[in-house]
Amino acid sequence: MEQTNASVTRTPLDSVAVKRKSKSRSYRQSYRSCLGVASRLGLTPARRLTTNRKAPESHNITRQVNPEHLALLVKNEWQLAYVTPLHQFRHTQLRSYARHLSAFVVAEKQQGLAVEVSGLQNGFKASMTVVQGMSEADDDPETVLIQIHSKPLFSRPDDPQKLVWSGWLTCINGNPEYLHSLPKDFTCLPLFVYKGAENLSSLVKSWVQRTFDCCFGPLELSQTSLQWLAALWTNCHAESNIQHLRMLWTLPSAPPLQVTYAVDPHDVWELWGSVRKGSWGDGAGEARWIDLEEVASFMQSLKSHFYRHFKLDLSAGILNQVSTALGSARFNGRIKISNSAYVITTLTLLTECALLKMPI
Amino acid sequence: MDESATRLLQRIVRRTPTEKLKATLEKWDRLTAAQRRSVDFTEPKWALIEKLVDACKENEFKMKHITELEMILVIENPNQGMWYTFQLVDPEDDAQSVDLLQFQEQFKSHLRELKRNVSVKIKKHTDQAVWIRIAWGDSFSRPNHLKPTYVVHQLQSPYIFVSSLTSKLKPLLLQALTFSTRHLAIKDANLSGRKLTAIRDLLMKEYQQVFPTKYPSPLAENNQTLSNLNIEREHAEASANRHRMAGEAFGDGTLPELQFAVYKMETKFKDPTNVAMTERDEPFRCVVKFSSTNLLESLRHCAASGLASTPVTPLLSSIPLKGRNYFVITDNAPGAASRAQQPQI
Repeated sequence: MEQTNASVTRTPLDSVAVKRKSKSRSYRQSYRSCLGVASRLGLTPARRLTTNRKAPESHNITRQVNPEHLALLVKNEWQLAYVTPLHQFRHTQLRSYARHLSAFVVAEKQQGLAVEVSGLQNGFKASMTVVQGMSEADDDPETVLIQIHSKPLFSRPDDPQKLVWSGWLTCINGNPEYLHSLPKDFTCLPLFVYKGAENLSSLVKSWVQRTFDCCFGPLELSQTSLQWLAALWTNCHAESNIQHLRMLWTLPSAPPLQVTYAVDPHDVWELWGSVRKGSWGDGAGEARWIDLEEVASFMQSLKSHFYRHFKLDLSAGILNQVSTALGSARFNGRIKISNSAYVITTLTLLTECALLKMPI
Repeated sequence: MDESATRLLQRIVRRTPTEKLKATLEKWDRLTAAQRRSVDFTEPKWALIEKLVDACKENEFKMKHITELEMILVIENPNQGMWYTFQLVDPEDDAQSVDLLQFQEQFKSHLRELKRNVSVKIKKHTDQAVWIRIAWGDSFSRPNHLKPTYVVHQLQSPYIFVSSLTSKLKPLLLQALTFSTRHLAIKDANLSGRKLTAIRDLLMKEYQQVFPTKYPSPLAENNQTLSNLNIEREHAEASANRHRMAGEAFGDGTLPELQFAVYKMETKFKDPTNVAMTERDEPFRCVVKFSSTNLLESLRHCAASGLASTPVTPLLSSIPLKGRNYFVITDNAPGAASRAQQPQI
């Protein structure tokens, strides 16, 4: 951190720029900003949202990831949560974890039943698998998929079991500084995405919490994260048609006023291009970075076009939802990724949000 | 009573809250005193349905009796479903003299000419409006009474409100309506909403539109320093000003409950700091939808509270002024301010 000392008189952003040049590994660059500032403030490295990130590239992860897993991830809307690092979690012991989880779920479900119903014994079956290829940086622990299958109560014995709950524990491009700073016994899979019955979700959470001594919390998407997603998705339009950029705002009038603002894909892409600095166009270059400033000025342009017509300032409200053909994200932490090519980009951002949200 | 009539009756009873059902049955006035006494409204719905079906069978009711019951319900509860507005244009010389009987006959015969197997029921409501219930069938099937279209029209007024109409049947209905009201054409009025009373009030301007010219400014407290007083006075003036302008744009008191307004915009992107976009020839295309449980109330509040700058832009004040909630916005000339234009339909 000697460079930081040398640049105390500079603004934080300057020190960021200085530090960026000094390192070579590209995926670490996005965390530069927090390092310069955070180390001076004595904070852990993961505590700030990055101010610039790499432009999304379409990753052809279909070749690496089991298509069945990918289809599951892509076709559904997921609820987001953060998880603190798991204590003594071993990727090699997933089978036995799954057995324990099944037993736990069945036991909890039987609570309050006067007579043991033998059918329930086989009612729930949990499975845990490593999702091969769902990681980006070398430091990322492998993604774990948890699924719970169940048989309907009045089904015939030969009926197939139905998938009733699924959840992912993942870490994509997690802050390497932070991951390295963890003691040896901890595995950091900070992002928990899940869907299924509410009571199953809480059962799984409480089992993971007890077994690995960690805790869960809801992951809401901040205004900045939603704006990032809007910009990142728009940036993909050249490669993959986004159909529209739709933003949903709520203004605090009485009664509340909802504003749906949907922009033509080509026009919004040109607007995005016009607020990009420098590197726009020379796509081949390594410097395809997106800066928070660009995102902010993109949003400001959209808002001012709106203001010019309606004399209503959208900044007075909250951005509730952004959506394109590539996916949709809501303020309350629900997300849908519709295009498998941009799974990594989206999960990188969400991993970062989860790390930020974690109480350390 | 045939099977389809029984099904319709069952559905009506199932979907109507018991309180409402009681009042409606009384209004319907088809059950004998003994039958009415035997119906216990504290019973669960399925028992109620059984009893009413039995009573109707006993009286040998037909489909027309049951549709009558449905019409009473719909007329009493007009704020359900989605209502679309159409506007009659180019009246013929005798348009003003069309009376209910003439309209009724004309409409039925026109519609039957255009479509076979339609069942039409027309009822005049106390508030001068004519209510029409249409059950559609086709050459091979009998009218489907489970999916009727409702039309509300006040004779001699240019507006017609329609709910539950498929796009396939729309031209037929509009044609029959145009002919039977002695008009030459009909067009989409670009106004729709969940509350029939609200959109009718908006079009007929039947809501409180008193535009006050003065607002009492709040009294300042005495024990404050002079500079504070001045600041407060200025604030109070600005606030009173905003309230006045909000009232001027949207009116006072309770406003008709509209649920949304849609703007399809193709206007130039203008931003002095963004040369590339400002110099672009093509317009910036977007669709903006405002929605609220009471849109006009929300917009008025935005203007009064300062969320929206005053004076209110014509784009928003056009909703009550023109009685529309669908607009297409284009620049009328290069470089000129945008204005609301006729929508392209």
